[in-house]
Amino acid sequence: MNSARSPFVLVLSMLLLTAAVAQQPLRAQDTNPPEPAGETVDKADVSVESVPQPEAQGSPEQNLLQRFEEKVDVVSGQVVGVIYGVLFHQFVGRKEFSEKLETIPFGSPEFSELIRSVEAALSDDEKSDAAWTASFVREHLSLADPAELNAQLDAIRAAAKVYLDNASAVVDLQEADFEFRLAQGDLTDNEAAVVADVLHHEFCSSKLRSMKISLADLQPEQSRVFTAKKSGIPIVVAWLIAGAVFFTLRMGFINFRGFFHAIRVTLGRYDNPEHEGEVSHFQALTAALSATVGLGNIAGVAIAVGIGGPGATFWMIVAGLLGMSSKFTECTLGQMYRRVRSDGRIMGGAMYYLSNGLKDIGLGPLGAVLGIMFAVLCVLASLGGGNAFQVNQSINAVQQAFPDTPWLADTAGRIGIGLVMAALVAVVIIGGIRRIASIAEKIVPLMCGVYVLACVYILVMNASAIPDACRLIVASAFNPQAGYGALLGVLILGFQRAAFSNEAGIGSAAIAHSAAKTEYPVREGIVALLEPFIDTVVVCTMTALVIVITGAFDVNNEEFSELITTRNGAGLTVQAMKSQVSWFPVILAVAVMLFAYSTMISWSYYGERCWSFLFGDRSSIVYRVIFVFVVVIGSIMSATNVLDLSDLLILAMAFPNILGAVLLSGKVKRDLDAYWRKLMAGEMKEYG
Amino acid sequence: MLLSVKPIVIPVEFSGETAAVVRRAQQMTSDPTHFHLLHVMVPIDDLSPGVLLGDCTQESRTGHVRKRLGSLAVECIVSYTRQVVLLGSLGLAIADCACNQNADVIVIPTCSYHGIKRLVLGSVGESVIRNAKCGVLVLRCSDAE
Repeated sequence: MNSARSPFVLVLSMLLLTAAVAQQPLRAQDTNPPEPAGETVDKADVSVESVPQPEAQGSPEQNLLQRFEEKVDVVSGQVVGVIYGVLFHQFVGRKEFSEKLETIPFGSPEFSELIRSVEAALSDDEKSDAAWTASFVREHLSLADPAELNAQLDAIRAAAKVYLDNASAVVDLQEADFEFRLAQGDLTDNEAAVVADVLHHEFCSSKLRSMKISLADLQPEQSRVFTAKKSGIPIVVAWLIAGAVFFTLRMGFINFRGFFHAIRVTLGRYDNPEHEGEVSHFQALTAALSATVGLGNIAGVAIAVGIGGPGATFWMIVAGLLGMSSKFTECTLGQMYRRVRSDGRIMGGAMYYLSNGLKDIGLGPLGAVLGIMFAVLCVLASLGGGNAFQVNQSINAVQQAFPDTPWLADTAGRIGIGLVMAALVAVVIIGGIRRIASIAEKIVPLMCGVYVLACVYILVMNASAIPDACRLIVASAFNPQAGYGALLGVLILGFQRAAFSNEAGIGSAAIAHSAAKTEYPVREGIVALLEPFIDTVVVCTMTALVIVITGAFDVNNEEFSELITTRNGAGLTVQAMKSQVSWFPVILAVAVMLFAYSTMISWSYYGERCWSFLFGDRSSIVYRVIFVFVVVIGSIMSATNVLDLSDLLILAMAFPNILGAVLLSGKVKRDLDAYWRKLMAGEMKEYG
Repeated sequence: MLLSVKPIVIPVEFSGETAAVVRRAQQMTSDPTHFHLLHVMVPIDDLSPGVLLGDCTQESRTGHVRKRLGSLAVECIVSYTRQVVLLGSLGLAIADCACNQNADVIVIPTCSYHGIKRLVLGSVGESVIRNAKCGVLVLRCSDAE
């Protein structure tokens, strides 16, 4: 009893400690405005009088929570920025230019000349294909007199328009960020946030990504910077695509030829209870699916289609089909190199096949490094995509489903839901109330069915629009008019979101599949290939079709534009369904919460296995406490930061996993060939 | 080596050195009925697929361990042993078991952890020595993984 109680005390202590830290007054130079919170602020509302004064508004507790949320947002944004720059460094045709503009005023002929000179540095092909991003930092603005605020706002608007027009005139601008830096003391944090919010709503679209107001005393040389870079394929996405194509070819299109055999195995035709392992093929698939089917299928898909357009759906399906081969390879390896503990427990996963498998082929040191790298990344990913993303997006979905409940949008409300979810997670992973987790695991397939049925209902209601939607999806995927840059962007989005959702190539599912009872490792690999099919080709496609058919991807539609620009994917799906059937969002909100919960529970298991691999079984309580703490943090991080952080951590797992799996693919291929020969010869014994 | 007339407790982790440790301990006892093979299990994984969806229970785990202890006894040609399976903190459980069995000595290998694992888990041997109320014979063997 004591051992179960002490972690709760630890969690409580950590929360109190965090609250105490948050009580410290924030220094102005540390403060950036928060991401737009989703409430619309009309231009007409903006005046000096309407700017909220923090001291006069809200209780000290509310201000404290608001500051806590801002602090979490700022710190998480900084962490994401640093890691993102490393892992998502674009290696295909990347060119970046950065010029300090101490002497060149924006909007002047010299400024246009500068952009032209940057463009001239590109070859013709690069020029036509370039997808530009630009960030502008306006020189120090003086807002010393609050009475001048409205006039200054107009000046900022005018300046922003000039910058955007200038850049768009000479380059095909894909994304841009504007940042206006004001002297400290000109505005309070809240006033700056309101100004930023107004400007964001006024200007931001899918192209103009952010509009920020920050308070800082700047050095003159930092005041104005123009950066332009040509987009390429992020390394991690290229790595995932290359891995999936390699495994598909190497395994002789096992994703197609093994499909029907996979269904027969999953139905139990080859289940022998005497085989060593913990669960049947079907149970292993269910366990793995409960980790993959989650907010990635609802929020992730909506983000992909919202930002990349309908064409992203096509590339997601392609990624799902190719990902089946990656999943087959990694789960077969998971079975091959699993360990059976003295108490009958099975320990397996990418960290085991990387360390032991590569040792077998004489690459022990590399295997040790990759195994540890995978385990570290998996622990972090379980806290990001397996935790913070789930709680954050599920709260967004509930907010969108119940818009008339304003407390849900407050920081206090979000923290409240976060604390409830943290408590529900804690009773299972720390308190050991496994009955709840067991029920959640079993409910997920049911909720998955309900969700698909709801999507099918909307599709049937709009049956006449389906052919046009399909045409639009295919046409957008290969739209030559959009140029190479846009096509590449859609492809990247499709693969990235598909991999995030189905985890093919990531290596996580091998942990669950290694527990299956089977005589042949290849057999469990074949079962595992159904996972990307169900997750991506079926469930994700359903979400995407609903988004396309309801027109929710249209960034110019006021109903959806804000949800798209703030990356509120779950909210976008809710809004799309609401536009068809008013009460669907309630069902969706319930489904989303259950998906999120079961995904968090499953990922906590993945994370804990990797933690145990690194630090031993007996220290896993430390991981569990951290996991519960992150549930609360995830509830108040901005959606953009959570998405970027989750992408980073989950997709980064592909680096060690795919490298190791490629090196071990010869062994998998030999086993597959032997298994297939036996199967084709009718020598496989059936039990069911 | 003096022969013990009281029980000897041998904590077993089923590592490669286990059989050698058991044989060494055999030389110290005059009565095989005083021979206690002890395995301390970690708590059950509440979230593993086997527990949530399959048939993995505390009983099934204990059964597996007893089977392994039986095989070890056969391998070491020990005609009669008492097998003890416990749950809990390694060092404390071993010391408690020895105390309950009124043991004369605990024979434990030093399969120590290194690096981060040692930092996190500490040394089992040290913990046993600190908590045991009887003698502890520590045998050096190859390192744990």
